[in-house]
Amino acid sequence: MQRGNLLISTVLWAVVALFIVYPLSFLLVESLKNAETQQYGLQNYIDFFKDPYYLKTFVNTLVLSLLVLLTTTLFGLPLAYMISRYRLKGKVIFTALILLPIVLPAYAGAFSLIILFGKMGVINLLLMDLGLVAKPINFLYGVHGLVFVQSIHLLPFIVLSLSAGFTNIDPSLEEASEVEGASGIKRFFTITLPLATPNYLAGAVLVFLWPFTDWLTPLIFGQTDYLPSISYINIAYHFTDMHRKYMGIVSVVVSAVICVSIFLLSKAWVERKKYTSLSKGTTLEGRIIYPPILIQIGSYLYMLFIAVLVLLIPVVLGLSAFSRRWVLQPFPTYWTLENFKLIFIETPGLLKNSLLFSGTALLFGIAFGLPAAYLITRTHTTGKEALDFIITLMLAFPGIALGVSYLLAFWEGIPLATHWIIMPLSLFVRRLPYFLRMAHASYLQLDISLEEAAEVSGASKLYTFFTISLPLLLKGLFVGVVMFFIMAFQEISTAIFLYRGGWETLPIGIYLNWHRGMEFGIAGAMAFFMIVIIFVLLLIVAKIGGGILGAAWGSSGGRY
Amino acid sequence: MFIKIENLYKKFGHVVAVDHVNLEIKQGEIITLLGPSGCGKTTTLRCIAGLEKPEEGDVIIDGKPMFSQGFVPPSQRGIGMVFQNYAIWPHLRVFDNVAYGLKLQNLPRTVIHEKVEEALTAVGLSGMEKRYPGQLSGGQQQRVALARALVRHPKVLLLDEPLSNLDAKLRERMRFEIKSLVRRLHITAVYVTHDQAEAMVISDRIAVMETGKIVQLGVPEDIYKKPANRFVADFIGTTNFIAGSLVEVQLDKGKAYLQTDFGRILCTLADSFQVPSDSTVQASIRPEEIEIIPSATQKENVFRATIAHRAYLGNFLYIFVTIDNTLLRVQVPYNLSQKEGEEIIIYLNPEKCMILP
Repeated sequence: MQRGNLLISTVLWAVVALFIVYPLSFLLVESLKNAETQQYGLQNYIDFFKDPYYLKTFVNTLVLSLLVLLTTTLFGLPLAYMISRYRLKGKVIFTALILLPIVLPAYAGAFSLIILFGKMGVINLLLMDLGLVAKPINFLYGVHGLVFVQSIHLLPFIVLSLSAGFTNIDPSLEEASEVEGASGIKRFFTITLPLATPNYLAGAVLVFLWPFTDWLTPLIFGQTDYLPSISYINIAYHFTDMHRKYMGIVSVVVSAVICVSIFLLSKAWVERKKYTSLSKGTTLEGRIIYPPILIQIGSYLYMLFIAVLVLLIPVVLGLSAFSRRWVLQPFPTYWTLENFKLIFIETPGLLKNSLLFSGTALLFGIAFGLPAAYLITRTHTTGKEALDFIITLMLAFPGIALGVSYLLAFWEGIPLATHWIIMPLSLFVRRLPYFLRMAHASYLQLDISLEEAAEVSGASKLYTFFTISLPLLLKGLFVGVVMFFIMAFQEISTAIFLYRGGWETLPIGIYLNWHRGMEFGIAGAMAFFMIVIIFVLLLIVAKIGGGILGAAWGSSGGRY
Repeated sequence: MFIKIENLYKKFGHVVAVDHVNLEIKQGEIITLLGPSGCGKTTTLRCIAGLEKPEEGDVIIDGKPMFSQGFVPPSQRGIGMVFQNYAIWPHLRVFDNVAYGLKLQNLPRTVIHEKVEEALTAVGLSGMEKRYPGQLSGGQQQRVALARALVRHPKVLLLDEPLSNLDAKLRERMRFEIKSLVRRLHITAVYVTHDQAEAMVISDRIAVMETGKIVQLGVPEDIYKKPANRFVADFIGTTNFIAGSLVEVQLDKGKAYLQTDFGRILCTLADSFQVPSDSTVQASIRPEEIEIIPSATQKENVFRATIAHRAYLGNFLYIFVTIDNTLLRVQVPYNLSQKEGEEIIIYLNPEKCMILP
């Protein structure tokens, strides 16, 4: 069977080489090219870091990252503690609800907040009608708005990883601290929080890196001075201005390098901090506390507050989807199905494209992810760590960098970019970790002796896989499939660089309709339609395997 | 009385874990709660610690009630506790694990250092202060847990199956070490275990628990020699049960004749014994109390038996003998000459043959 493993390994590496290493090396090489002399060197980078403007975008992005991380941590910490420690009713539904922003496209949140909090948005109009303010308050346009939107979007990462961290702590570790004389707050800060830190970090790094990858939200809010946004503008709108084009490419590489290195650093730190498992046979649930009635009420109110915030997005988009000319009025006055008629009857191609591309990407994802998960968890093939590493890296890798490098690599030479297959291919590469992590997590939960028992009974490895492993992995794999599909379905950062006329997906349609100005209703209808699809899929996931989701996202810290 | 448990009642959902338990523990005494899993011994211990709140009853430690007048949280009880899985904090070094409770008392640094050093030396771990728990063996982690529980010189030490994760050799050594340490520091200790040998070695008194109740409380010898009922006889050590019906009860002498499948035997009635309505009962006799005699000198309680199996255990033999269809286990010296299939004569001493409720 050694040879079989080697074959799997070779094929997987070939795919990684062709679709990850090859295009990314193109990007790197291109960033070193001098626009005038066509020679290679570090001149572009020197120009970039000497230019006060680009330096400013860099600092802006860094500040935004820190603010978003701070906000999500402050709001997420109590939430995670309530979810994982308190016995509260309705916890399951609530957990599914707060997962929503992870899978919702960031632009959907941005649209609904503009409708609600924009200069002429619902809140401002109401405030002015009531005579409380004379001029509209600027809720959104600036760094505070970005922090607001991105924090709502990223809160689930912090809550999921922290609550996984809290749940993983053996109850007796906290009990021991209580017996030793530590009460409440003291116990939390000396025992609970330090033990949850490795898990927290796994989520925090994804939150911190988000502003280095999200180009669209700043643009929607009219903010261009952020690294990914200026990259997008330079590359998408100024491809004839060689200097700006190359500055764009350099800033893409810079963000990618930042993402990769911070991701690596945090991973290394987590590895070092990972505490060896000491306890055996404890409850899977973690410690459960029955809070006093006041704290209970407070928790419910806090959870309600977060839930309302999260639910604002679909509700507002829904209102705008079913109405027309919702402008300069606090609430819609004219209800219609016109928007949906438009997207279903006149442009059904968008939905068809989205389904086709995401579906095809999903097939690629399964065909690659399943053998990869097997190779990583069940064999000792050389280089499997590197494989795991490169795939996991894609989690932190900016979609814009992938899009640009595909454009550079697959135009001449291997002219894949002229065929629609480039769309599902790029989606597959970009969203690969989502399926793989689930497959990986379910494989880890599957006791290897169950497979060994089959082999001892005379089954071959392949037969064992199909008769024992696959049926037992099915639940986790299904969650992985749905998560992958959701994330591919809402992807825009890579696709926006690669689509050509006729290949537009639903997210691109949303973007274009917003871009053209007055088509807010249509963009809203499309976004609402997407959210409905995504929410249904998410409910299925929560129903089938919320636990698996937690295991896959918060597992970097391990159990102690 | 130093620790007084009064009418303690605790249930989880519909399952009653501790069913109105009463127990008094003297200062400096080591008492063991012994029983199979699910008997309520750990829950009782956790109620003493304050990690569980009982539905009813009280725990009084050193004259102070813990439940009845407001709940005293574990952090205010001043107890030391060793957990089954040690509960050593993996993110703190050995020193900080042991010093944790001292730091909470805001003691000066030098005092903390002194006390930690003293505790670590007592458990044989000095020099390990800088290590992380992950760098220690199971036995060493166990000692850290013990040092942490003892460092504040608590008046009460609670131990929840502290040795169950150690290998057999180390477990045996630690029994004696824990006992001498607790004695030396004059600590009142409550020890929970399901291992009867461990309970025998370590305790001044043993409380045997079954389904949330204490079924027998006494010194180890009494528990072994005068089990209160069949459950205790079966759980502590090994025993043979012989079923039969009572044919002649001499309540004044505390004796009775039992008609069994293989004949009549004279037995002793247990103290608390009451004759059941259908008069079917069971007598218990331990393997080492069954005697092998050269020839049938007495009339009563002597039977011819056939050796079915011999099991060599080093310093003694277990033989399984059959009398008609009844199988009995007998402990005999290792040099017994008879082989499997051969016949021997056994004597069931009426004093050792107990009819139990």
